[in-house]
Amino acid sequence: MADAVQTLDISPVGRVEGDLDVRVDIENGVVTNAWTSAELFRGFEIILKDKDPQAGLVVTPRACGICGASHLTCAAWALDTAWQTEVPRNAIIARNIGQLAESLQSLPRHHYGLFMIDMCNKNYRNSKYYEEAVKRWAPFTGTNYELGVTISGRPVEIYALFGGQWPHSSYMVPGGVMCSPTLSDITRSWSILEHFRTNWIEPMWLGCSIERYEEIKTYDDFMAWLNEKPEHANSDLGLMWRMGVDVGLDKYGAGLEKFVSWGYLPHEDKYNNPTIDGRNAAMMMPSGVYDSASGTHKLMDQSFTREDTTHAWYDEAGGPVHPFDRTTNPVSKNDADFNGKYSWATAVLHADNGHLEAGPLAREMVYGGDHMEGWQHSDGLVLDMHKHMGGSNVLLRHFARMHEFKYIYRHIERCLKEFKLDDPFYIKPTEQDGQGWGATEAIRGALCHWIDVKDGKIENYQIIAPTTWNVGPRTGEEERGPIEEALIGTPIADPSDPVEVGHVARSYDSCLVCTVHAHDAKTGKELARFKTA
Amino acid sequence: MANLLWLQGGACSGNTMSFLNAEEPSACDLVTDFGINVLWHPSLGMELGDNLQQMLRDCISGKIKLDIFVFEGTVVQAPDGTGEWNRFAGRPMKDWVRELSDVADFVVGLGDCATWGGIPATAPNPTDSVGLQFLKRDHGGFLGKGFTSKAGLPVINVPGCPCHPDWVTQILVGVATGHAGDLTLDEFQRPKTFFQSFTQTGCTRNMHFAYKVSATEFGQRKGCLFYDLGCRGPMTHSPCNRILWNRQSSKTRAGMPCMGCTEPEFPFFDLAPGTVFKTQTVMGVPKDLPEGVDKKGYVKLTGAAKAAAPEWAEQDIFVV
Repeated sequence: MADAVQTLDISPVGRVEGDLDVRVDIENGVVTNAWTSAELFRGFEIILKDKDPQAGLVVTPRACGICGASHLTCAAWALDTAWQTEVPRNAIIARNIGQLAESLQSLPRHHYGLFMIDMCNKNYRNSKYYEEAVKRWAPFTGTNYELGVTISGRPVEIYALFGGQWPHSSYMVPGGVMCSPTLSDITRSWSILEHFRTNWIEPMWLGCSIERYEEIKTYDDFMAWLNEKPEHANSDLGLMWRMGVDVGLDKYGAGLEKFVSWGYLPHEDKYNNPTIDGRNAAMMMPSGVYDSASGTHKLMDQSFTREDTTHAWYDEAGGPVHPFDRTTNPVSKNDADFNGKYSWATAVLHADNGHLEAGPLAREMVYGGDHMEGWQHSDGLVLDMHKHMGGSNVLLRHFARMHEFKYIYRHIERCLKEFKLDDPFYIKPTEQDGQGWGATEAIRGALCHWIDVKDGKIENYQIIAPTTWNVGPRTGEEERGPIEEALIGTPIADPSDPVEVGHVARSYDSCLVCTVHAHDAKTGKELARFKTA
Repeated sequence: MANLLWLQGGACSGNTMSFLNAEEPSACDLVTDFGINVLWHPSLGMELGDNLQQMLRDCISGKIKLDIFVFEGTVVQAPDGTGEWNRFAGRPMKDWVRELSDVADFVVGLGDCATWGGIPATAPNPTDSVGLQFLKRDHGGFLGKGFTSKAGLPVINVPGCPCHPDWVTQILVGVATGHAGDLTLDEFQRPKTFFQSFTQTGCTRNMHFAYKVSATEFGQRKGCLFYDLGCRGPMTHSPCNRILWNRQSSKTRAGMPCMGCTEPEFPFFDLAPGTVFKTQTVMGVPKDLPEGVDKKGYVKLTGAAKAAAPEWAEQDIFVV
């Protein structure tokens, strides 16, 4: 009955890094329809037009203070492919360790700072775990909040040893990296990594050794681990899981159940002459698309990317196009019309599969496939949990993010072992015109940059961020965006404090600051032929 | 107890992320040891939607005392001065900024975006962005040249892209513990205690600068980054080599040229073709010389330096 529908506009949904507005229709206490609007625009791609080819190395890390190393990674590889550089193995390792250090930092920071404090929300006061949750996770004063947020600064100390500072270094450049680390940079990095393991990962997060956790291969293994010892059950992972189930985080937030990952971490001996086409065969963490309806995995390629502006604040005729073929034409007045245009984010699509979810859950679903080569990473745990739990949900999505500490930690170890300090870190390239593409997996998902260098300057620069995939609006065929779809079925206990909507949004770890856009402030007219993320 | 409210405009959250790297004090120490009550922060706040809007209105009405208003990011004025391209809590962010600045005891601008516009205000400044009280070097900004907060100070500018966590935490502790009167600000309203010295002060490459030994390309184990790679360390005011980043290093120590990000012109030359990571020269002499040095003096200085340079200066020094 239409008159039983309550419409709730939530502005803003905080702790999603940026300005996200959500409109939900609620019927009998459950979300029946949803719209997500990105509300901030900075025009980074406009700024890059006609600038120095290397300007992206300076500007794009500053598109996102949280994923700056990821943007820098994309910007550097995009130029490498455009300039046809040679990248020495040490430089590949030095870039990977930067990407990994940033991701490791983000695990406790997002977990304690952004996600877990919702467990202290008064809506959960009847949970038997509530008192303990408040003791551990209350903002600023919780015991584990304080340790978790503070120790999150340690992994990026490793970044600083190679890049000088985090956030916002530009130490990755076409042809390699700027640094030439010494032995003490390597040994100090080891010590920092060890400190992080012995002060957070093992005693607080797991209640066991990393090696014990690595034995978990299936949902049943995980349950056996949880019940094996009080140390496991009472660890932050154990309590998160038990309380998450108790308050029903495993019951909503499913989403589209179609996933994308670009893959990342090029192997140090397989991407020394980087090309767009050669990328998939060089990644230690494989790319992929997983469709859970059909249970099929396949590789992802940038040529499949499409953007649909039907419900975004652009006036562009025709159907979805590849980012290089956009004729960006923003509307001059950005009023929200939920039957028409209501977001600056475009709907990012796969040419064959439509909307896809990006992020750690997507990566983990991809790693569960058998479409990769034997030397590439595979891990079936999260896919197995997905099957046992009957699909995706808020708890599994957040679990997938935290699960990644395991291989991030191991890969940082590997980087530190693989450096050959007497070999070069940089091979000076020849600047030239050309088109390039660089991609990575930021902790929150698939990120890529396209660049077109012409006459010695940037003709066209385009970014598609993980949040562009996830927070995008409906397509022309009215398929909801990933977060919009995930909100359907969400129970809302208290419409004046809709913490459940926050849970869904935060399980995607959306970063609205990444949705950069292109406009002319005065006229609203097209300034350049490139897309907005 | 001091109430602190932190909002973000045209921002990347980089200053927040940098702030969370803090130790001594950490972000949590500010709350538990120094009595700073964080009313709300976009990454950390509990409230959402209507509850937050109510809190902001209570600050403006005076029902909640606002001691410190921290702003990160540019003030977005587009399109046509309406600010509609950065809406927050149901209205343009710029309207919140104006009303909250008027009731706060202290207003702190964190990072280049909030101080002078930073990257978003780079030509063609598509979002019509300005800093709180400056746009690049022009005094005025969003709040106007004459603005002072209730405590009688102009906006306290803590620039940098991002600013260092210690610069933020020490200022906040200073204000919260009643030491605001000890703050002296320079012409760009930066606390002098941090921004009187140069980025070069304490750089590990100072001897190479002195003997004019250049790092001619990246990845070398010697040399100063000023002569060829565009380093702005001698012209930039910051304590980056006195208060190290992430407790470990600095850009110049790691081999990355300083880009001058605590100065109003950052990014310099608007990133025009040929200007990134390359020293701009006229007849072999850098266009921008170390602060206070004239061209004649520079030629003499480098001539003498070259003549005096010992043999070891040309050899690798930061060895494995």
